[in-house]
Amino acid sequence: MKLFSFLFLILTINVFGADEFSCGTIECDEFQVNISNNADLQNGLSTYMNYCYGCHSLQYSRYKRVAEDLDIPIDLYVENLIYDGSKPGELMKISLSKDDAINWLGAYPPDLTLEARVRKPEWIYTYLKSYYSDSSRPYGVNNLVYKNVSMPHVLEDLQASLPEENYNKVISDLTNFLVYVSDPSARERQQMGVYVLLFLFLFTSFAFLLYREYKKELK
Amino acid sequence: MLQWINSRFPITDLVERHLSKYPAPTNLNFWYLFGFLLIIVLVMQILTGLWLMMNYTNTAEEAFSSVEYIMRDVEYGWLLRYLHAAGASAFFVLIYLHMFRGMMYGSYQKPRELIWLGGWVTYVLLCAEGFTGYVLPWGQMSFWAAQVIISLLGSIPLVGEDLATWVRGDYLISGITLSRLFAFHVVLLPIMLIAVVFFHILALHEIGSNNPDGIDIKKHVDDDGVPLDSKPFYPYDITHDVYALGVFLIFFCAIVFFFPGGGGYILETVNFEPANPLSTPEHIVPSWYYTPYYAMLRAVDFSLFGLTAKFLGFVTMAAGIAIFAALPWLDRSPVKSIRYKGIYSKIFLGGFVISFFVLGYLGLVPPTEIKNILAKVFTIIYFSYFLLMPIYTRLEKCKPVPERVPA
Repeated sequence: MKLFSFLFLILTINVFGADEFSCGTIECDEFQVNISNNADLQNGLSTYMNYCYGCHSLQYSRYKRVAEDLDIPIDLYVENLIYDGSKPGELMKISLSKDDAINWLGAYPPDLTLEARVRKPEWIYTYLKSYYSDSSRPYGVNNLVYKNVSMPHVLEDLQASLPEENYNKVISDLTNFLVYVSDPSARERQQMGVYVLLFLFLFTSFAFLLYREYKKELK
Repeated sequence: MLQWINSRFPITDLVERHLSKYPAPTNLNFWYLFGFLLIIVLVMQILTGLWLMMNYTNTAEEAFSSVEYIMRDVEYGWLLRYLHAAGASAFFVLIYLHMFRGMMYGSYQKPRELIWLGGWVTYVLLCAEGFTGYVLPWGQMSFWAAQVIISLLGSIPLVGEDLATWVRGDYLISGITLSRLFAFHVVLLPIMLIAVVFFHILALHEIGSNNPDGIDIKKHVDDDGVPLDSKPFYPYDITHDVYALGVFLIFFCAIVFFFPGGGGYILETVNFEPANPLSTPEHIVPSWYYTPYYAMLRAVDFSLFGLTAKFLGFVTMAAGIAIFAALPWLDRSPVKSIRYKGIYSKIFLGGFVISFFVLGYLGLVPPTEIKNILAKVFTIIYFSYFLLMPIYTRLEKCKPVPERVPA
């Protein structure tokens, strides 16, 4: 037992000692993921399509799938959110070419379909609110979460014009949308999971009763 | 009809011998459930793998997006993929428990050496299967783990570099490597795995199961030659196994449906970025089930007799896996089960278990100076369980084993 506690001590001390900040140079803000509210996700989608989609594709996702999952009538969706005449069944790719992007921006903006799985949702949320002005950078801004980021502060107008609370809502919806699009089957999966587990509990109860009956016979 | 078949192929006899009437010791406990569960998981992996293969593309350009295609566009593709990924982790949890059972109750001892060796080959094949499968999604971790593991071959003196190039099929990890690992993963290794598991079970049924007391139940048989301390598999064991399957599936499905990434241990977050040969991830970690051996690899950081540290680490790691095969000949104890073995066996087995967990943890985290020392210490403890076994099993005082299974 003493050996155990000694080991535990050594291991844990080291873990915490070695830890850096959870979000770049700062601690992440708290963020509660919620992908159950379609209105929020629609809001996030519209922010994404208007502010992010010019540079960041969602190349593994299809327009139509998003429309169906978020309960958006397809006509409305095609009219307002598909800019390049793509068909609803197509993948959400952008027209920005790699060479142009590197010429204009210095880097190719990454695809963000899986961003919420690569980074934590709280990272994305904190990142979007951690821009600050820094005249030494090409766009005059820098970020506490992502040091020397090459992306300009695209949501600057929103952050300047909206009260803080409303801006936080915009980026929270946007983050939730990215969480949704990184694993679009999550809601269906969790619903199905409830039934699967209910069945298994029932099945296992009967299996247990049968096992107990036969076990009695052995004695 | 059955008679017609039986006179040509003894189907009834086979079913009775291997399933319905197989005599299982009466004192089997919880630890004897994992073999059954492993077979279920094997079948599940084969079935989900088959369906995944129908939609997966094994080229460097398409592999990553074809996995996302499975996750999004294939009907229930996400379920197939999550089952298969969590299934791989479940496979290792179960096989480690199954192996530990064998070590605890001396199931490897005479006359079950070949059963044990069959199981050991299964484990080695499973490690290869896990590694090759891990590369297929072609994410960042897939690429760099393959890079690290295959480059280990390069550390072998004289032939190493050529061997690594030969295995990769290229000077770097590339689409060529991916497609050959795919072929291994879906054809060669599963065929070998099924064959070895078949042998493992056949050999077991020939000799009969060991039990927690390590008593030879075949010494006392009734007039029909059935051991007195046994019960037929059907219905007594099958009902136990099915009950256990239910409990296992509750845990397994809870993970698949509500926690499919397993906090980065089943699907690593870095692997959601496509493979990029130009950017190395911050720290490369293998899947959790290899980390004890990865920690051994890193623990050896000194060269010796002109051999590089990398090569020595590689040898240590391989020896850590290989040494299980020697167990039947290392154990000189007159008794099988830990219940009747002496205090040394208990201490060394305990040391082995602790070192396995500690090394597993150390393999997951970035190395520091003190952790490196710990890794060395626990690597030694790990090996001492095996290498000192011929000595301590002879020195210790064992308790007498009862003739019959205690009631």
